[in-house]
Amino acid sequence: MIEEGKPLFVQIAERIEDSIVDGSLPERDQAPSTNELAAFYRINPATAAKGVAMLVDKSVLEKRRGIGMFVSDGARELLLRERRDAFADRYITPLIDEARRIGLSPTDLAALVREHGSTPQASPDTGRQS
Amino acid sequence: MSAVASSPQRHNRILNVVRLQFINKVTYIWMPLLVLGASWVISILIFAMIPLDGPKYGGGAQAPLWAFMAVGIQAMTMSFPFSQAMSLTRREFYLGTLAAASVTGVMLSTVFVVIGLIEKATDGFGVNGYFAYLPAVWASGWWAAWITYFVITMFLFVIGFWSATIFKRWGTLAVTLVLTGLGLILVGVVFLITRLEAWPATWTWLVETGPLGLALWAVPAIALMALGSYVTLRRAVA
Amino acid sequence: MTAVIEVRDLTKRYKDTLALDAVSFDVEKDTIYGFLGRNGAGKTTAMSILTAQNFATSGSVRVFGEHPYENARVLSRICFVRESQKYPDDATARHALAAARLFFPHWDQDLAERLVDEFQLPMRTRIKKLSRGQLSAVGVIIGLASRAEITFFDEPYLGLDAVARQIFYDRLLADYAEHPRTILLSSHLIDEVANLVERVLVIDRGRIIMDETTEDALQKATNLVGDAAAIDAFLRGREVIHRESLGRVSSVTFVGGLTAAERGEASAAGLELAPVSLQQLIVRSTQHSTHAPASEKEEVAS
Repeated sequence: MIEEGKPLFVQIAERIEDSIVDGSLPERDQAPSTNELAAFYRINPATAAKGVAMLVDKSVLEKRRGIGMFVSDGARELLLRERRDAFADRYITPLIDEARRIGLSPTDLAALVREHGSTPQASPDTGRQS
Repeated sequence: MSAVASSPQRHNRILNVVRLQFINKVTYIWMPLLVLGASWVISILIFAMIPLDGPKYGGGAQAPLWAFMAVGIQAMTMSFPFSQAMSLTRREFYLGTLAAASVTGVMLSTVFVVIGLIEKATDGFGVNGYFAYLPAVWASGWWAAWITYFVITMFLFVIGFWSATIFKRWGTLAVTLVLTGLGLILVGVVFLITRLEAWPATWTWLVETGPLGLALWAVPAIALMALGSYVTLRRAVA
Repeated sequence: MTAVIEVRDLTKRYKDTLALDAVSFDVEKDTIYGFLGRNGAGKTTAMSILTAQNFATSGSVRVFGEHPYENARVLSRICFVRESQKYPDDATARHALAAARLFFPHWDQDLAERLVDEFQLPMRTRIKKLSRGQLSAVGVIIGLASRAEITFFDEPYLGLDAVARQIFYDRLLADYAEHPRTILLSSHLIDEVANLVERVLVIDRGRIIMDETTEDALQKATNLVGDAAAIDAFLRGREVIHRESLGRVSSVTFVGGLTAAERGEASAAGLELAPVSLQQLIVRSTQHSTHAPASEKEEVAS
């Protein structure tokens, strides 16, 4: 379940961000606690805490004294903006590389995108599978 | 989250070691009692079968004592490693275990005296057989019998415990050497007495001292072995 | 962070072996440590000395600022669960837990009972008649329910099957989250505990070869998966720790990391990043130190 070469706490943070982006964790809702995260992912609470701290630093989560962590107002917008900015590096470049590997030029790729983009969405759920 | 610091709590822990030894009531209570009881019953049966008229005396009362020596050995070989797992200091384990052994000693001695009094009252259970009421032991009264039995119980426990501490600290070879050494000293003493033709004098002295006196002589031996055990235990690894 | 254990130049010599060689490290409060290394590396020896069950040849050990030897003040706050623990003859699990209740000031009887249920431990069977797994369960339950401020687990879960081990890890994490304390977990099942431990202390042949956070340790190496030839070309000159191949596809772990540019290059070459196995990283590190450096380091030929 834990993938890639990223530090564990970063992966945890990204999963929380994913749930904010796809709407399953709405703004102003309470985020899972450090202990809940630790138990769910079977990781050390300190790691979970580090992931949460990272999101607090980014202003995606905010701490409400005595109650817990909540999703900040505007967090979704912030994340969408961040992901759009990173979109090219994260998806476009690998896409072009892979396409090139199988013999498709960027022009071919553009055509494919237009073709598939115009068909109705198979499902609104674009979140990563666990 | 208070730290266990003060003296009263320290004493509590030693008391808890006594309780520890009694969690499983078999070792320090039922087994010794059972051995004493069984030995007693067997002795009576044997007495009943012997077709003599005069008083008959048996040595069955010593059975639980030897069994208790085994308990002393096991205290080191099995209880000690567990005490380490319980984060006890060696001192706490040592004092608590000796205290537990004393409790058993008190229990056994009391039962022994009670049996003796019954024997005295019933003329040896009607078969003129005496398991506990041995005249030499009771010469100075029931309290002397109690002390004698108690001291011998502790003596044997401490021998077992002491040998086992040597075993734990230095291994089989060491124990063998020590026990062989003691055996040699004993043989040496016997040899010396023979050479000096001092047997009659020795017998006289033994009879005059009596079981109580000999038991009291054992007390310093117990103290020495107990001290030796502690010193050895302090550097023993479970 | 405060150090609850301070070890300086700890040495333990047996007749002709040096079990611990001038080892120094600190253990920080309320942190879960993975105490890792091969069998015979010195883990059990170290833990025994820290708990005053064994004695150092030289060097110093301070637990809660004091020497633990014959120190009830310190010892009552720690718990050492060993791999093979002796119990009093004819003792049952019930006896053992009743004993633990007497001596561990923070003992939680409810937790102990819940764990007995979870591990399906027969309470009235004599311990010497229990299976290997049940025997381990007794130790694990004592360790967890003791809630001791410093708890040492020396591979106590050998004998526990995978399900029972997962129960142990889950309960450990859950209880640690509710009641933070210092925990040292020694294991050779490194990957199983990698996500649980905050810091790793790796000991090899009596020496500490790693003392850092798990995260930092994992960042020391990178794993690439893809076409074998492409990887080899990409990794020219780097030290390879581990390699697995299936046909033309290889999974290669190497020392060091990739810059952003290098990541781009890797992606362009069709290579993917995969998780680094802490176990492989440590296994290779400990194997390396038994041989002369030059011969064993596998460098990718240019």
